[in-house]
Amino acid sequence: MNCEVCQLKELEVEHFEIREVLRCILHTIVFHRALGLVRPKDIDLELFDITYVQCGDIEVEKKIDEKIEQFVSWVEKHPNKKSEICLSFYEVKSKHPSWFTNKIERLDWEQWHINLNVTQHPKPKAHSGKSHHSKIVVDPGESASEERSVRRASLEVSLREVLFQIIKFVNEKKDHVPPITESVIYFPYEIHIPSSSDSAFGMDMLKRIIQTGHPTMLS
Amino acid sequence: MDLHNNSHPESGRLEQIISQFLLKSLHIILDSRIPSLHPHDRSGDFQSSSRVRKSDKWFNLVLGDRPAALDNLNFWQRNVMDPMIIDIILVRRGTTSSSVDDLYSSMADRTPIETVMERWIVQYNTQRVMAPQTGESSASCKKIYKKSTILLRSLYSQLRLLPAHRIFRQLSSSSQTYNFDIIYKVSSFCEPFSWSEEEMMKEYSFMPVEALPGHLSLSVTFRPSLSDFNLEPLATFPPKIITDYVGSPTTDPLRSFPSSDRGDRATSFPLKGIRPLISTPFQRPHSWTSGFHRAAPFMANQSLGGSPPAYRTSPMPYNFPHTPSGTYGHRIQSCRPPTHQRATGNDEYELSPPFSPSMSPSTPTYFSSGSPLQTRITSETAPVTIPFPKSGRSSRYLSPNFSDPSKNSLPPLSPKSTRHDPSSQESPSGIRSIRKPEALRAGELNSGIASHYSGHKILKDGKDDSGRFSGLLSSSGSPHIGFSRSSSRLSFQDDLDDGDFSCPFDVDDVDTSDSPNSQKLDGKKNLESTPHSLLMGKQSQDAAVGVLVHMLRTALPLQQDPSCYSSHSLRTDLDEGVATASGFFMPRKTADALEELRSYREMKDLLLSKSGTRVASKEEA
Repeated sequence: MNCEVCQLKELEVEHFEIREVLRCILHTIVFHRALGLVRPKDIDLELFDITYVQCGDIEVEKKIDEKIEQFVSWVEKHPNKKSEICLSFYEVKSKHPSWFTNKIERLDWEQWHINLNVTQHPKPKAHSGKSHHSKIVVDPGESASEERSVRRASLEVSLREVLFQIIKFVNEKKDHVPPITESVIYFPYEIHIPSSSDSAFGMDMLKRIIQTGHPTMLS
Repeated sequence: MDLHNNSHPESGRLEQIISQFLLKSLHIILDSRIPSLHPHDRSGDFQSSSRVRKSDKWFNLVLGDRPAALDNLNFWQRNVMDPMIIDIILVRRGTTSSSVDDLYSSMADRTPIETVMERWIVQYNTQRVMAPQTGESSASCKKIYKKSTILLRSLYSQLRLLPAHRIFRQLSSSSQTYNFDIIYKVSSFCEPFSWSEEEMMKEYSFMPVEALPGHLSLSVTFRPSLSDFNLEPLATFPPKIITDYVGSPTTDPLRSFPSSDRGDRATSFPLKGIRPLISTPFQRPHSWTSGFHRAAPFMANQSLGGSPPAYRTSPMPYNFPHTPSGTYGHRIQSCRPPTHQRATGNDEYELSPPFSPSMSPSTPTYFSSGSPLQTRITSETAPVTIPFPKSGRSSRYLSPNFSDPSKNSLPPLSPKSTRHDPSSQESPSGIRSIRKPEALRAGELNSGIASHYSGHKILKDGKDDSGRFSGLLSSSGSPHIGFSRSSSRLSFQDDLDDGDFSCPFDVDDVDTSDSPNSQKLDGKKNLESTPHSLLMGKQSQDAAVGVLVHMLRTALPLQQDPSCYSSHSLRTDLDEGVATASGFFMPRKTADALEELRSYREMKDLLLSKSGTRVASKEEA
């Protein structure tokens, strides 16, 4: 079984938008991969005019919220950085002797890379400094709020595109999906967030490569 | 059909999967687009329900109760080869150019406009005939089932991302009524879109699921933007806080008249109380009332607009009567000043022409009838007594006498009274000039005036009587006015228990010269300062002069003497001239008046003697 990787479009979000954006994307992905008996739940975003679907499982909701909080904490320590969250669906392979470990291996059969660029825009100042952009004196408060609203609208469009991207990918790639198990609601998954070290991203990738085994394995 | 002809058991299963897939997709689409099928909140509805229906188990997607419409579509299970075309149609009520016309026309009258928002095509395509392979049929069915499950998940998510979902949410979540609705149409065939429609539509096709010998396909043609449609709630009567609701006693009820038409349906007591009251005075042919009548029918129309703001937003009108609200406001304007001025008491004289204090007999009637209107308009909560003759002009004459010791409104005393009462000469000194021409006219009015007061008790001094009489002439040529004044004077005298009584001719409060108040009101200068009395005096003086001249000219033997007197009275000392002029006419009326005065005096003495009260007139005399 090969591992299908989907790189989602990068989204530029502000700190307060992280939770909603991540919750939307992660739940949408999991819903498409929760092939067990689910009771779909429509969730309307507060910041955007978007409705996404949750699979309705409490455990999924908890896990996703927990990972989001961890990511938010990391972002607070590493502001203004591009970050990636990896949602991977894996299969538990019965242990078999391998070169490195005898533990139960997890083989990712699908990986979703959510790319976020968390930006911290300065708050509108009461007193404007030098303005080189335009001769017209514009209230800095108004321009900042307009700029924010423009960013918000752009983010909403981009988020919709990401969701369409997910749906398209889910429909185009179906063969690699493991068969449905009756007692299983959703396929096991893992959410990887960046670690504290700068080189964590590379280390995480290395770990995943080791865990998934050969990337060209076929079922 | 190949699937039917194949006796393999898996073929039946495949057909079952296909048919259930069609039903499930139809269920998902209708559940996500037609609010009438599931009029409830969908967010956590399935979480609470633990019961899983058989239909829910298919493709592991719990959707709840299947719409009844799906039961009628079981024929899909018979012929799964036919495509299933689902049109999601937006139905809008045609709107006119003006919102007013929309309000008049009912929803049923307007032609509904149907627009296909989305067209879903679900079908099982078999392009070639293939013999199913037994070995792989089970696995293939499982794969087909798995892929179909994923496809339906995608369909479920996609439905929430398309533009039509916003409209569905708007209809299903809000309790408001809208001018649009969503309906559906399911068929196995459809008319293709027109070229213009197709240009506005976008197409999205899901990856088909291979289900040998065919494949399951799912596609949608949708409108990417629905902002062109005027989709808004029917806000005919939006909830608004009416700050100047008629119910408030502090607001002008007239302002709330437009809402009274709605109030007819909603029982608005103050308005209903006002309406009959207002209608009566408006029957009078007056210019500003007609505007009100004009406003009335329009207000009904405006009420359909559902907005009292229709009149609130209109500016207070000073140009009458362009708009009903303007007319209405004009009515307010015309009503308010008299009401307001009535409170002051002295400003009514400066009212607009309808309220001008003319000497016509109808004027007091006008005021008296107008006051109820004004009374009721201004206050719905505090009943105001309707002032009759005392109000308006009559009050002008009356009140200064009581309140103002200067006696500004006193008519000039008669010359005789002046002569008889030296003490009172000071008072009429300033008004004798007015009295002079009046005396000429006194004879004419004596007979007419006397008849009015035949039944009234009059307490008056002789000189005062004449003075009052002349004063009456000088102040007004209207017997009604005189009547009211005399009656008021009589009442005053009764209150003061004055021995003197006013001559019936003397309506004015000059009669107070007999009473203590009359002594206080000896201000000749004050009389001159009174604008009304001066005006009256001037007018009557001129009129009296004219009459005098006419009479003198017509009577040959008398022409020289009156002319001498009249001219002399104008130049020489006022006291003498007036005395002469008034004395020329005095004998005739004074004698009668004196006789009457004496009779009344005797009556008064009798009464006072009985009551044991001193006669003030004797002391004054």
